[in-house]
Amino acid sequence: MGDSSNQDLISDLPQSIIESILTRLPLRDAVRTSLLSSKWRYRWATLTHLVFDEDCVTLSNDRALFEDKLINFITRALFLHQGPIHKFQLCTSYLQSCPEIDQWILFLSRKDIKELVIELGESEWIRAPSCLFKCKKLIRLELFRCELDPPPTFKGFLCLKNLNLYQVFVASDAIESLISSCPLLESLSLSYSDSLTLNIYAPNLKYLCLEGEFKDICLQNTPLLIVMSVAMYMTEDIAEHMQQSSSCNFIKLLGSVPYLERLIGRIYFTKYLSIGDDRGRYPVTYSHLKIIELYQVSFEDMKEILVVLHLITNSPNLVELQISGSSNTLTAMEATDLDFWDKECPSPCLFDRLKVVKMTEMSGVPHEMEFIKFLLESSPVLEVMSIMPCPSVMDGRLNMLIELVRFRRASARAEIVFIQC
Amino acid sequence: MHPNEVKILNKCLCQMSEAVMAVVKPEMKSYIWLQTADGSVQQVEEEVAVFCPMICREVIQTGMGSSKNYAISLPQRVNPAILGLVLDYCRFHHVPGRSNKECKNFDEKFIRMDTKRLCELTSAADSLQLKPLVDITSRALARIIEGKTPEEIRETFHLPDDLTEEEKLEPLRNITDDPRIRLLNRLYARKRKELKEREKLKNVETVEEQLDDRSVDDLLSFINGGDGDTKVARTNRSKKKNRRRKDQSKVLHDLSSACHVGEVSNGLLASSSTCSKLQDSAVTSFSPNVEFDDGDIDDDIDPAMKEELDREVEDFARRLNSDWPERMQEILSLGQERRLMPICMGKYMSVDQR
Repeated sequence: MGDSSNQDLISDLPQSIIESILTRLPLRDAVRTSLLSSKWRYRWATLTHLVFDEDCVTLSNDRALFEDKLINFITRALFLHQGPIHKFQLCTSYLQSCPEIDQWILFLSRKDIKELVIELGESEWIRAPSCLFKCKKLIRLELFRCELDPPPTFKGFLCLKNLNLYQVFVASDAIESLISSCPLLESLSLSYSDSLTLNIYAPNLKYLCLEGEFKDICLQNTPLLIVMSVAMYMTEDIAEHMQQSSSCNFIKLLGSVPYLERLIGRIYFTKYLSIGDDRGRYPVTYSHLKIIELYQVSFEDMKEILVVLHLITNSPNLVELQISGSSNTLTAMEATDLDFWDKECPSPCLFDRLKVVKMTEMSGVPHEMEFIKFLLESSPVLEVMSIMPCPSVMDGRLNMLIELVRFRRASARAEIVFIQC
Repeated sequence: MHPNEVKILNKCLCQMSEAVMAVVKPEMKSYIWLQTADGSVQQVEEEVAVFCPMICREVIQTGMGSSKNYAISLPQRVNPAILGLVLDYCRFHHVPGRSNKECKNFDEKFIRMDTKRLCELTSAADSLQLKPLVDITSRALARIIEGKTPEEIRETFHLPDDLTEEEKLEPLRNITDDPRIRLLNRLYARKRKELKEREKLKNVETVEEQLDDRSVDDLLSFINGGDGDTKVARTNRSKKKNRRRKDQSKVLHDLSSACHVGEVSNGLLASSSTCSKLQDSAVTSFSPNVEFDDGDIDDDIDPAMKEELDREVEDFARRLNSDWPERMQEILSLGQERRLMPICMGKYMSVDQR
């Protein structure tokens, strides 16, 4: 068709644009463009980003058949592919572990793979093949539910910046040496790899996310850390074991992160920090720490309260504080140590930048109220203090309100917002 | 003039010129001259034009664009209408401080245009290295392509449908679901191809046809001698459509008689053994298995096709073990409707007999 009004509109666009368009299509549609015309036959085959999921093949009720089709599609697509593959992502719960995965990873290791994300179905964990550790150019690695066992000759991923391991079965020393052998590592996320004892040596690490039951965590060398998020699950044994050790968890975890900007702690985090003998030394000032979020803080444990106080008093530039309580409310309406707040509490203490405070899951126990009082007295630029009571506390709310109304406020602009739920 | 008067005059003049400048200044935006491939020249506010990296670079590195004669030549892919669109985009986005929402709303409205213009805009944005515009246009094009069937996409972008049925299947046939459908598709594809070949042959000059006939004639005349056979050849020539078929079956008969005669040329030796095989087989119609040395063009294709098909058939036969007899029935019944199907049947028949 030589008529200009019928001229091919798109095939002559430069390859970079065609790639940009094809990358934005689901992979199945991108592969189907090979049916369009002779110019489009292998246009898709040089895509460098391949994202596979269950939409790649037509859905079918027969599970085994569907798995076969998907495996075939991936194998065929890889076989037809030309040139380097920079990103390979396979996320589908419809596919369980299969022997083909080893071959795919071997194939990718020869194609300069840079980003590798594999998340499969839950019933069977894959075993990471040794060829995975030969992917020298890896920048980002995300593995879900797999067994990781680096060979002894493994020297590390020298380009790796991003590591995310979710429910990965790996030995403590293996993961420690993996982390320390990735010199450029900036972001590390370890979730639900249980019973690990971690010594994290990562001089370039900026983002750390830990979740699960850890026996012990020590940030040995993470001077550039900016964001830390830890959800610490504890069993009785671990708690006991920790009580017996003399090292101070607070120091181990927060002792050498001077550039920290945001700290998030969940579940037993504050309890974990409270364990260990600190001997009163808190040398570090977190001058960049702006946001602190602590969940499940038990205001019946003086040690936990002390941890929180130490944190916030060593953060002169704190802007936002969020604390979520967890108390067995029905038992502790009578509290001891209330004189702590008058005598021992560090004073005069001013939070010069603190603007927003959110207290949630408040049961109205005395220490909680004293803490709120303390904050109100010490925050001259406070704008909002929002308080959300624990849903199960109905009777105590009125008392809480009566007390709240009485508290002196250092900031004339402070609003106290009591959120009913 | 008295010095004092001069002073006063100077002061007045200064004040006047300041006043003039104050009025003129807001109007003094600098402009850039741009020339599109068709030769037309446009004047554009500099701050808008240099939002395009390519124009910005030209201004900085070469100093062009300051006057009409030294207009910056834009790449060929930018025509005046599209340049207008690009400049509209630049005019909005070069202003700092626009919120994300404002930008998104503008982009959504901006990108609404017909496909042809969208493609031209993408191309122009790429040549001007205006990445944000390339991004939103690529995204829009991807959205157009997504979810459409190949036919719909071809129609939208005026793409030529120049792949054969076969090519459309391979290598994607691996991704097609049912192996039996693949088999049928392949058979149909080959039939269509064969049809095309035969069409081609029909259009070939008569000279070649005559050559074919003549070589057969030669053989026949060698054996039987004389006009009878040339007459046969002539009648065969006139029946073009079934020429090949009739030819071959005719020659079969003739050659078998040749066998009996016993006087054969070298060229016939091979054929005679083949023809006895054929006679024994159940084939009543033509089969390309016959290795006739008659210079027929199709011969180059047929053995290869035959081999491939044989291979594939074996392959599928293995896979469709129990289904094979039923498959055969289906194929056969489908074959009755198509004129040339039986040709292939011959091959499968011989497979069966192995």
